[in-house]
Amino acid sequence: MNHGPYDWGRPSDDTYGAYNHQIAAANNSQFPKMNTQQPIVTGTSVIAVKYQDGIVLAADNLGSYGSLARFSDIERLLPVGDSTIVGISGDISDLQQIERILDDLQVQDSYDMEKPNLKPEHVHEYLSRVFYNRRSKMDPLWNSTIVAGLSSTNELVLKYADLLGVTYSSPAIATGFGAHLAIPLLRRKVETEEDASKLTEEEAVELVRNCMKVLFYRDARSIDKYSLAVISQSRKKIDIHKGLRCEDMKWEFAKHIRGYGAPQL
Amino acid sequence: MSSIGTGYDLSNAIFSPDGRNFQVEYASKAVENAGTSIGIKCRDGVVLAVEKIQTSKLLVAGRNKRIQSIDRHIGVAYSGIIPDGRHFVNRGRDEAQSFKSLYKDPIKVPNLIDRVGLYVQNYTCANSVRPFGINAIVGGVDDDGAHLYMIEPSGVYWGYCGTAIGKGRQTAKAELEKLDLPNISVKDGVKEAARIIYLAHEDNKDKEFELEISWVSQSETGGRHEFIPQELFDAAVQYAQEEDDDEEEEDEDVEVQ
Amino acid sequence: MFRNNYDNDSVTYSPTGRLFQVEYALEAIKQGSATVGLVSKTHVVLVALKRNAEELGSYQKKIIEIDDHMGIALAGLAPDARVLSNYLRQQAMNSKMVFNRPLSITKAAFSIADKAQENTQQYGGRPYGVGLLVGGVDETGPHLFEFQPSGSVLEYHGAALGARSQAGRTLLERSLEEIKTASRQELIKLGLLALRDTLAQDKELTAANTSVSVVGIDEKFTLYDDEDVQQWLDLLDSTANSRNRDTHDAPEDDNDNTTAPDAGVDTEGDVPVQDAD
Repeated sequence: MNHGPYDWGRPSDDTYGAYNHQIAAANNSQFPKMNTQQPIVTGTSVIAVKYQDGIVLAADNLGSYGSLARFSDIERLLPVGDSTIVGISGDISDLQQIERILDDLQVQDSYDMEKPNLKPEHVHEYLSRVFYNRRSKMDPLWNSTIVAGLSSTNELVLKYADLLGVTYSSPAIATGFGAHLAIPLLRRKVETEEDASKLTEEEAVELVRNCMKVLFYRDARSIDKYSLAVISQSRKKIDIHKGLRCEDMKWEFAKHIRGYGAPQL
Repeated sequence: MSSIGTGYDLSNAIFSPDGRNFQVEYASKAVENAGTSIGIKCRDGVVLAVEKIQTSKLLVAGRNKRIQSIDRHIGVAYSGIIPDGRHFVNRGRDEAQSFKSLYKDPIKVPNLIDRVGLYVQNYTCANSVRPFGINAIVGGVDDDGAHLYMIEPSGVYWGYCGTAIGKGRQTAKAELEKLDLPNISVKDGVKEAARIIYLAHEDNKDKEFELEISWVSQSETGGRHEFIPQELFDAAVQYAQEEDDDEEEEDEDVEVQ
Repeated sequence: MFRNNYDNDSVTYSPTGRLFQVEYALEAIKQGSATVGLVSKTHVVLVALKRNAEELGSYQKKIIEIDDHMGIALAGLAPDARVLSNYLRQQAMNSKMVFNRPLSITKAAFSIADKAQENTQQYGGRPYGVGLLVGGVDETGPHLFEFQPSGSVLEYHGAALGARSQAGRTLLERSLEEIKTASRQELIKLGLLALRDTLAQDKELTAANTSVSVVGIDEKFTLYDDEDVQQWLDLLDSTANSRNRDTHDAPEDDNDNTTAPDAGVDTEGDVPVQDAD
């Protein structure tokens, strides 16, 4: 990258050849309209797994600016009402936009000052419609999300929705890098609903915490500080534990990695 | 100068020769005989209460709520043409949401009342619309504390420590003036509100009514506008009925003397 | 035959703060044939008396399904009711698509109330000329609302609209406690009894002129018309108005009905006036 004021942020000429200034100077005749092409500040994986009495979710607190670990206090597990958690990965500014949309939704739901009736199945449907609507305008909100909670009939809801409007449900879900790294680990314990019904809360928390550690080992856009939410059917309650740390890590292997730490001569 | 027969009262947004807008004055008439609504500003919040006249035995008790929320921290009670009140509240909600989408913070109560004031005033300016047939009492809390306003069909609004509108407004105002406002707690405010509505109902005694009370306070509701809890409501009603009886006894005593 | 200078449009107040155009719109409801709604802890029932313009003509539909969990009954201008029912169906579909939940009955009723209010405050339109009973079941249980052209919406245990509906209301008020605890069948019977009380002298309930609908917790909205209604009419001892029968098996009825302001006014029976249904 060239660091001169006029070339800041552009690929270096040595490596990539001269920069084509038409790209930056592109006008409306070349691009009639251009919307979001990539996320800017990003949050990495959200992971979630069902257990016999509920759901455990986790997401770390990092906001990455490219490869730069820019913000270390981003909260990506959002409570919506008292029976829903939305875990969001992807663009952080879009996360903040979703946060506002969901806040407005809660205000609208409580206008009548009656019993709140915004349940996870409703939040998930709404969110997926917002995503699909935006992607159909070719102006997506750049996120993948997990919606978890207790439904109107106090049943467990664990569903996925992303920037394309794709949705699905599964007893173990992970977004982003976690879809590669955490899913196999989660499915080793919880492949089916039946497996989930055998897993205790302690085991589920242990499983998720282990996945967060593995993700911190292998995902360069992650941090060792994260939030973890426990949804419990019997207690009809959601607890969010903030500022948790990856524990019992071993980094001895790291000295064998080229490019890690101080330059090796 | 009288209004009827002059022709100056047949359309909205018309001045009479002596500078009055009769249609706005007529709109206020729609409010005067309606059920009483009151608002009390307290040390730590605001209490709203309405006397809900029950027009039929078949109405479902406890439903058909009349007090509404504009945002989490702002409540409204109104008297007059009820559907106009809903229109007013819907506009208030739009304003509050639009403020929040621009500035992220919840709208402050003086700003909200300023905006809805403009909106209501606009309905006095054109002959294609009619003025709102309500007086709305708007109360809420924000970073600057508790606020209480009442807005009229003309679009004018004033801040109050305590205010009342509807058929029993005179009785209610007289009672409000006896209170040490805004130095009482909202808990006391709730009891007084119940008592005052029961008293104001004396002006409308032939009709059944249902009492509705809401509050918004930093200390009691965490800054949210809510209906008061059932136990508190029952206690307030009991207090109101006892006071009511006492008053009658006092009246009788006077007669004996 | 202008009553005064203040009744030409809905944007002019009278000196006493009344809106005559809106009040006249409320009169349009009374031109329509009667409909009755009632709600128990488990069910909502709507019943209605249909009219036909001529002997060989079909009967005008009085009850419209909105969704699996909700329906409306109308009294007044039927075309206006269709506009409102279309709007309600849109709202119901939107709720399912956007929130994956059935439209709440309260929200449904207020959505048309707010729509109707606009027509009472702006020049250029007229208020709707129809009253509706909105009945349905949602997460909070069964509900019955009465909608009026003024934009007023109120929740009732039982309500009646249309010609001579006061007689029906009187029966509902008297049976209030029964209504609250009634079974599905008892509720339909009470509804038909109230509807029967609204009948004109020479009329009686028939399978052809009566509509019955039911919706309940765990029961989808069902509309009974024509031969399907007979099973419900069979619940009644007689299908003629008890006031007009010689048998004085229910003598207390007479006093109540004479107090009804519009009872017996429309002695011409079911001749439609201004196409109101």
